[in-house]
Amino acid sequence: MSALNSFFAQPGRRAAMPILVLLLLGFVAPLIAVVGFSFMPPRTFGLFHEPSLENYEKIFSDNTYVSLLWSLGLASATVVLLALICYPVAYGLVRVFGRWSTVLTLLFTIPLVVSENIRLYGWVLFFIKGGVLPGTLKTLFGAEMGDFLFTPAAVLFGMVYVYLPFMLFPMTLGIAMVPNQMREAATDLGASRWQVFREVELPLSTPGLMIGSLLTFVLAIGAIAEAKVLGGQRIIPITHDIEIAFTYAQNWPLGAALAVLLMLVVSVLVLAVLRRFDLDQILGKR
Amino acid sequence: MNGISKPILQLKNVRKSFGNFNAVDDINLTIGEGEFFTIVGPSGSGKTTMIRMLAGMDKPTSGDILLRDKRINDTPANQRPTCMVFQSLALFPHRTVGQNIEFALKIRNVAPAAREKRARELMQQLHLPADYYGKNVTLCSGGERQRVALARALAFDPQILFFDEPLSAIDYKLRKTLEKELKDIHRETGKTFVYITHSLEEAMVMSDRIGVMRRGKLIQVGSPNEIYSAPRSRFVSEFMGDVNVIPVESNGAGSVRSQALGAAFKVPATSIEAKAQCLVVRPEFLRFLDAPGDAPNSLKGVLYNEYALGSRIQYQVRIGEKVFLVEKLRQQPFKGKLDDEVIIGWDPENSIMVADE
Amino acid sequence: MSDSKYSVRHILIGVWTAAVLIFVFLPSATILLASMTSSRYFTFPITKFGFDWWSKTVNSFEVKQLAITSLTIAATVTVIAVVLGFFGALAFARYDWRGRKLYQKFILLPIFFPQSVLGLALLLWFNALGFNLSWKTAVLAHLVWIAPVVTLVMAIQVYSFDPSLEEAANDLGATRWQTFREVTLPVLMPGVFSGSLFAFLLSWGNFPLSLFTAGSDNTLPKYLYAKMVAGYTPGVPVLGTISTAAAAVVLFGGYAAMLILTRNRKAGI
Repeated sequence: MSALNSFFAQPGRRAAMPILVLLLLGFVAPLIAVVGFSFMPPRTFGLFHEPSLENYEKIFSDNTYVSLLWSLGLASATVVLLALICYPVAYGLVRVFGRWSTVLTLLFTIPLVVSENIRLYGWVLFFIKGGVLPGTLKTLFGAEMGDFLFTPAAVLFGMVYVYLPFMLFPMTLGIAMVPNQMREAATDLGASRWQVFREVELPLSTPGLMIGSLLTFVLAIGAIAEAKVLGGQRIIPITHDIEIAFTYAQNWPLGAALAVLLMLVVSVLVLAVLRRFDLDQILGKR
Repeated sequence: MNGISKPILQLKNVRKSFGNFNAVDDINLTIGEGEFFTIVGPSGSGKTTMIRMLAGMDKPTSGDILLRDKRINDTPANQRPTCMVFQSLALFPHRTVGQNIEFALKIRNVAPAAREKRARELMQQLHLPADYYGKNVTLCSGGERQRVALARALAFDPQILFFDEPLSAIDYKLRKTLEKELKDIHRETGKTFVYITHSLEEAMVMSDRIGVMRRGKLIQVGSPNEIYSAPRSRFVSEFMGDVNVIPVESNGAGSVRSQALGAAFKVPATSIEAKAQCLVVRPEFLRFLDAPGDAPNSLKGVLYNEYALGSRIQYQVRIGEKVFLVEKLRQQPFKGKLDDEVIIGWDPENSIMVADE
Repeated sequence: MSDSKYSVRHILIGVWTAAVLIFVFLPSATILLASMTSSRYFTFPITKFGFDWWSKTVNSFEVKQLAITSLTIAATVTVIAVVLGFFGALAFARYDWRGRKLYQKFILLPIFFPQSVLGLALLLWFNALGFNLSWKTAVLAHLVWIAPVVTLVMAIQVYSFDPSLEEAANDLGATRWQTFREVTLPVLMPGVFSGSLFAFLLSWGNFPLSLFTAGSDNTLPKYLYAKMVAGYTPGVPVLGTISTAAAAVVLFGGYAAMLILTRNRKAGI
């Protein structure tokens, strides 16, 4: 009892306790359960069978791993596209738009609070036969539009759309971290605009860029609505495979094994990136 | 030196350790009733830890703190009849000037009308305009915020006021004004003030007595005059500002010798102690000579540069590797040109021998 | 570098930003358009404008049930997440304690974790524990993701909190509870406010976690998804518009309330 008392003597520990308990029961424990299930024989529902590697063997012999590759590929493409799309906007928000930045930031925030499937459905109505874009083209030019919906490109399009704010905001923070005087100093020392960008702005805003990329990648690799709504089941991302295994197929161990593979990729990335950051410094402590 | 009046605060062998590190190391000190006592030291000297223990925000690892002969080591800050003005001032940003000043009274369940009366009294005493009562503190200027913080600390009539470098973030001119104001408040209230700062200059202006801290130890305690004119160590003498320090060794009665300069100097005979290994001469006591014999101690050098310091002018003279500073009043400047050969000298009674520590 | 070149660069950035903004709002605009047609199927250009589907949707009992479920979940999540997040943020940014650095990174992990996978893992976990899936399990699932987000949002506020405020209150005679009530909580109020705004909105719009953990209880996003896959009905755009508008109102209302609050505070009210 006194050992417990002395453990809780630090107010920080006391304050951290409630959320830690939540995360232990609602995050760590389920993930451990998933790992446990992934070593159980297929189609069993308990954790007390002889462990086996059968599920993992099945994933690689049945070509199920293809869906993991799809997810990885789509997520990487999303990150690259978003980095290119967002940098000028983020730069503008920090350096160009002045007092309009607050309003613009708020505008970019609104979509975040609307369920992604509603917004994706907007794109369906935009691209569908007789929808906004084909309808406009037909009325104005009499032109017919080829099918865009239900292709891999549409899924990528949807992912770029949904995760845009997750790249934009960290990037904005990153650029805002570069002191204006640093750029002026570089210019003063004779650097051209491009050199200022390459030698000063880009390296100093890397933390924002990295956190944005990590966040987008991780969210995109777990994307599920995009393929369902815009992809019309043409592409099967790994999340879809996991869902099927957990629900219709009632094969928890196979689904768990797939989830473990995904978690491995994600945690290696997250830990590698987070390890490099001192959060106190980024979020601004003293 | 002021004889210490009735003691109000006593420290007996007070020590505060963090792991193996002694932030405050075996301090013995008595502070008198109504005294303005200042603890001076560079950052990391332990002065902040010291005042936090006195105010009750930290507990000493060992030793005793006595308030009017009562041990208060374990009395928490909210039950001590003392109050602190913080470095950041710690004004409550969500409260008005009036609410800030009344905070301690509200905590003690004083009726609102009585609270307001007291707050308005204090505002008047501290030259805060009456209509500031309902103003948000975050809208006050730096000097006004100082006054609000002081009023808040005075409101419940504490026996001792502690100050943790409250003026350090204020610009020079306002700081000078506030230093004097604070000393006036000290006179008016007659309370005991314990102040910490890293500026010996600030301490000189306000204090009855000064304690100099270094590496957790109190290395010299005395009146401002004693600290200025009779420092006991090189550290204390350098802390006050520009001084010329020459490492020396004993050279018989009333004389010391510097290896580096290859010269011997006369010193006041009484000042040579076993530990004394440095000769200190303040720049204002050095003068330019026409011939080496014009002063008991003299040196030849080259005039390297000059700096205008307002009422005085400071000259840099180089003798080999060593740099000396000479100060003259503005009205009687030195006529020499830069790079001229010059002779500087001083009288033995204007030099001090101190320990090299 | 000439002035004209400088401004050309700025114009390009401005045009690009405008284009991205249009891109961001295009689908919502499409949904709004689609909700205003009175025909059974959506074709563009719209031939018959009308609000028949609005009245039908708004008056539907099912939709009211959905809204109530979504609101209940969002409100419960907000209350719990704000309490957990408040103390979590103090531990994150206010106190120095052994293990804090590790804790900070641990708190981030659920945010940096694919939500659908989290939802599926929780589905498995709840099943293994023998829980009946309902809106209550959805609340738990939302909390796992939202409480860390709220912690982070509040931590930013806590970082700018001067710890000597608490010490000053204590020094002036306040007990621990008085200090909390009179100083810590009110000073951190803006953080609490934006934290609850985030919590509410993120829960209100969440799809992947609700999909797998709400069981037979339907939330708005979940219901909309089911309708989308089942085939077109004009009720979907209507409901989508309502949901979007509600979120925007809460967001802007919250933002305005915050501005007024800080202004009043400045004025010393």
